[in-house]
Amino acid sequence: MTMKAKDYRSALEPVWCTGCGNFGVLKGMTQALADLEVPQERFAVVSGIGCSSRLAGYTKSYSFNSVHGRALPIATGLKLARPELTVVVAGGDGDGFSIGVGHIPHTVRRNVDLTYCVLDNGIYGLTKGQASPTTDPEFKRERGLAGIEERPINPILLMLASGAGFVARTHAGNLPHVRQMIREGIQYPGFAFVHILAACITYQKPEYAQRIWERCEMLPADHDATSFEAAIGAARRERFQLGVIYRRPPEDRPAVATELEGAEVGVWPPVGATSAPPEFPGED
Amino acid sequence: MSTRPEPQTLDPAAAPPAGSLVLSLVGSGGDGIALLGDLVLAMAAQQGLYGMMVQSYGPQIRGGESAAILRIAREEVHWEGEETDVLLCFRARDLARFAGAVKLHRASLVVLEASDDAPLPEWLGRSARPEFRYPFATFVDGVEAEGEPKNMMALALLCRVLGWPASLAHRMLERRFGRRPAVAQRNRAAFDRAWAAGEAVPALPHLAGHGVPLYIESGNEAIARGAIEAGVRFFAGYPITPASEIMETLIDELPAVGGRVVQAEDEIAAIGMVLGASFGGVPAMTATSGPGLSLKTEMMGLASMAEIPAIIVDCQRAGPATGMPSRTEQADLNHALYAGHGDFPRVVLGVFDAVHARDVMHRAVRLSEGYQLPVLVLSDAYIAQRRTVRDHPSDNRGQPKRVAWKPGDPPARFHLTGDQVVSPFRIPGTPGGQYLSAGIEHTLEGYPSASGEVHQMMNEKRFRKLPAIARETRDWVRTLGRDDAPFGLVAWGSLSGLLREWVRERPEWRVFLPEIIHPFPVEAFTAWREGLQWLGVVELSFGAQLHRYMSTVTDMRGVASLGRSGGMSITASELDRMLAAARKEAGR
Repeated sequence: MTMKAKDYRSALEPVWCTGCGNFGVLKGMTQALADLEVPQERFAVVSGIGCSSRLAGYTKSYSFNSVHGRALPIATGLKLARPELTVVVAGGDGDGFSIGVGHIPHTVRRNVDLTYCVLDNGIYGLTKGQASPTTDPEFKRERGLAGIEERPINPILLMLASGAGFVARTHAGNLPHVRQMIREGIQYPGFAFVHILAACITYQKPEYAQRIWERCEMLPADHDATSFEAAIGAARRERFQLGVIYRRPPEDRPAVATELEGAEVGVWPPVGATSAPPEFPGED
Repeated sequence: MSTRPEPQTLDPAAAPPAGSLVLSLVGSGGDGIALLGDLVLAMAAQQGLYGMMVQSYGPQIRGGESAAILRIAREEVHWEGEETDVLLCFRARDLARFAGAVKLHRASLVVLEASDDAPLPEWLGRSARPEFRYPFATFVDGVEAEGEPKNMMALALLCRVLGWPASLAHRMLERRFGRRPAVAQRNRAAFDRAWAAGEAVPALPHLAGHGVPLYIESGNEAIARGAIEAGVRFFAGYPITPASEIMETLIDELPAVGGRVVQAEDEIAAIGMVLGASFGGVPAMTATSGPGLSLKTEMMGLASMAEIPAIIVDCQRAGPATGMPSRTEQADLNHALYAGHGDFPRVVLGVFDAVHARDVMHRAVRLSEGYQLPVLVLSDAYIAQRRTVRDHPSDNRGQPKRVAWKPGDPPARFHLTGDQVVSPFRIPGTPGGQYLSAGIEHTLEGYPSASGEVHQMMNEKRFRKLPAIARETRDWVRTLGRDDAPFGLVAWGSLSGLLREWVRERPEWRVFLPEIIHPFPVEAFTAWREGLQWLGVVELSFGAQLHRYMSTVTDMRGVASLGRSGGMSITASELDRMLAAARKEAGR
């Protein structure tokens, strides 16, 4: 059966503002699912709270729009309990890098097979324009936002330092690329992070959006995604490098947590030790 | 040597009660008190003797002074008793930490270090029996040095006191240390030397068991195993005193039945994982203590709002904040009953003891899975780590009953048919069942809604579960004593142990013990209180949380409140004093 992107769309109309980058994420994600022909009933989206977390409701899936910052643990529980499901986590920079940031290193080192897609527009849109952990200091100064002296975090470095095996970046305006990055993230066997840059159409000026777009560039053709050092270098560049920044070779142990055997942390039995779901409960 | 006056005469009336003996073992870190207690309890169980062991620590959990209080008996016992028949103490100064926990009676046997001349504290009370002194410690140039294991010497002396054969102790040591020959040999040698020297130690009345080996379990182990039996297949938790052994037991035992355990990064992640697993259709549980329960609160509301079954065990400790982590209290009740923003239905169950715990877990799974809501199971520090000898548990495997949606069922996730109170749960993987589960208010279809009317309708829908649960659980109570006794007491959770023994000797009292706290079994309580002349609520809560809660569901005018802070549990004599004072105040 050939699947189409719209097969993965629910009947709900998005509440996002016209021109929001989230449309690109939704489109790219559904296209990637169609590419992979993921069975709808085995597809789950878990999200927290924020504009981008609304995405869960717009997919035709077993989706869970939970509470602020906790999508990763909820998705972890779901995936460990039902390993045969394809589980995507969707959220924004406030949800993931601020209130929920404590879950990132642990979800990464547990290496549960999730695809974490963060739409990063550097703003709290749902609550009307406060600064997020990735907001540019210059923008905060211009807008009189809190925390001018606080430097933005680098999500790619954060993920690499935590030991993520798949780290990619794309821009919501480049639909084919969003589709490709999410597809590769889902295909990666283990925790995958897809950083999706965008601007907020409502709380940022068009010039700001233009600045973000212009700061993006594709990774050089000779970028070696299997090299942790090359990945760190790409993450530290002034311009946003788009593409698969790091893809850990299967034979390598996690780059940071080298003492961990296979990166299964605190999970009994270890992740990957069994592919069969637990005894299934329910009706007699 | 001791400066105490020489003992006078032995009072025969103060001999230990036939049928049970209390042993108090006190030492410091490294003395192996916990192991000694474990071995004595295991030997009792092996002979078909019942009993329990309560461990008490100083302010810190590891290191420092520790005490094990054991009660060994011919029949099941439900609390550790008040006065000790045997006190064995390696250093008299270590006793200071246990004021109130250890008391002598006139015929108590006190076993002390031969070289220790520190006086025994006044609060300990006095025994008329001469104390027995034994050189446990080894000295080099007047300084105590590492010598033979003191706990093994103590075990030999205790076997002499109890009239237990050395051969049984040998078997136990073999079982425990068989795989470590050097340790086994060293322990055995120390035991044998003390056994030979221990002929002089006075023997207490012999307690004979029925000979059929019994089973030992702590409250925490029972909760873990009860959960497995009842069908829980996913657990996530975070280490916390006094609940950690629930996770530790599940790490050992849940994977064997196809389940998974995760030690989460924090308490919030733990309950998040539980909701994720349960959203996936797998019965799931977390366990914590007060500080963790506070952190989990937001997701208790999420579970109720999204109608996802979840079991949350809270081993209560003295609070608030860090409180006293290893000490008991019953003051998380308000949190369990009321915590969380917004209105949402939940269930609160109480645990009496390790035997009851397995049963409670079956009920928790039945209600959470059956009604798709969070169920809080409240245990406490007093029973969580207490090890109890019991009959072997029967094989009691349950199958969780979550009504699962199938194609052809109502098209909306939260649709109710007829007089149903729950909508069929859509388990991921079921074709055509895809839906949005959300903490945001939603329509019957699961679509987000900001309509006041929808919110009212959905609250009505969710709260419809509570009357149905109340009907199903209306007889989830235990009563003690005669139905026509004139005086009544209400208590919950671990205080049930004391009351079971206390009421036997006080025929003018009856006791009401709810097993489900919320929804409260009001009808059963109303029928039970009929004809009472006096009624009180006793609880380990300074704020009298149970009394206050009951006044919201039934008429509590004139009902005395006997609440005090936790720390130590209540003893029989303290309860008598509390009741005398309360009844005096009431003018009776």
